[in-house]
Amino acid sequence: MALFGDLNIVNTTDKRKLKNVIETAAHLGYSTVAINHVVNLQEKKQEIGKPTCVAELFTSPPTVQGKSKPIKIITRLTVVVSEASHCNELRTTSPRTRLYDLVAVHPKTEKLFHTACMTLDVDIIEIIMTEKQQFHFKRPPVNVAIDRGIVFELVYSPAIKDSTMRRYTISNSLSLMNIGKGKNIIISSGAEKPLELRGPYDIANLGLLFGLSEGDAKAAISTNCRKALLHGETRKTAQGVVHTMKKTEVPEDKEEAPASKRARTDDP
Amino acid sequence: MVRFKSRYLLCEVCFADPRSRQCLEERAVFSAVRDAIARAHGDYGAACCAVSFTVKYLNAYTGILLLRCRKEHYRLLWSALPFIIHLESRGQRQPCRISSIHVGGTIRTCQRFLIRYNRQQLLRMLPGCQSEEERESVHRAVLSCSLKQLEEEGSSRDEDSD
Repeated sequence: MALFGDLNIVNTTDKRKLKNVIETAAHLGYSTVAINHVVNLQEKKQEIGKPTCVAELFTSPPTVQGKSKPIKIITRLTVVVSEASHCNELRTTSPRTRLYDLVAVHPKTEKLFHTACMTLDVDIIEIIMTEKQQFHFKRPPVNVAIDRGIVFELVYSPAIKDSTMRRYTISNSLSLMNIGKGKNIIISSGAEKPLELRGPYDIANLGLLFGLSEGDAKAAISTNCRKALLHGETRKTAQGVVHTMKKTEVPEDKEEAPASKRARTDDP
Repeated sequence: MVRFKSRYLLCEVCFADPRSRQCLEERAVFSAVRDAIARAHGDYGAACCAVSFTVKYLNAYTGILLLRCRKEHYRLLWSALPFIIHLESRGQRQPCRISSIHVGGTIRTCQRFLIRYNRQQLLRMLPGCQSEEERESVHRAVLSCSLKQLEEEGSSRDEDSD
């Protein structure tokens, strides 16, 4: 099958723990892993800091089980929004959010969910799993989000830890499936310890419990993750066609298009 | 010929504390899985899996586990496995994780997969070897695991394909 990805590994200050979790993910077969920095703007004095330097974590990243390539580690920012003023941080021109590869938003009210689907420049919308959803999903914003390429995320580690959380998780995800028909869904772990991770085939089965069809469940851990990654990459480019890189030695202004984009522009 | 078709789930048990792997017991795993199915799928799940559910093979050194259940209900069992968070053994609760690596229709297919998997694991251990002796022993282990030897032994035994 395609590459598996787990796009939610909670960032901790303890480097050894983080390394353990990433090594476990590589052992289980995940090819891509995203370190998630959660920022809750409601608490005072919380600012979006710089992402952890991935190169410092591993001198040589662990190889993925079953493949010969090392695991790919990217950075991700999740902003928990409960008021409209918090959305200012998520505009394209914001300096800090550009440092991250993926940007996610966790809306707490219906209005914010609507804004996130329609206008905010994010890649992932996280669905509340730890409490009963106060609002119902409506079809128009969800369809707009699917058209824009935004992906909805289901986190499964609360479900593993606690039985009441399991009920909330399943009920919230079932209501999302009713509206969105299972498109653009990813399932990720939200793991803080290595024992909270589960293998990709187990997660595809969990997707069946959450209301996805078999094909959708497999897509949730492979192709939709890749979709989210590409969406994050295109945020750094101009319309997804041109990609600029800073060259350290040569001072001239060089524009380089990544290989996949180059082929597309060459076609008549 | 009417035949009971089963599914064999090959799983790997990982512990937080590597030493507690020695205390792995079949009964503990059996009761843990049965309770997890009852919690996740209720009475229906517990009843479905009670029909033909057994722990066929358990290797305490590598943490490999082989479970058998009926073909109609293997998804119920499979979806309840991620929810197991600890195993009881000798009065202690050890936090653990069960991840499934293969689903097969017969024990022989699972055995074939397990040999390939163990060989892959041995090869992954090679870069981490500290001394030449360790390297040599890993090399020898890799070369010695082959299916032909086992098939010669296995043809003399009766296969249990319930």
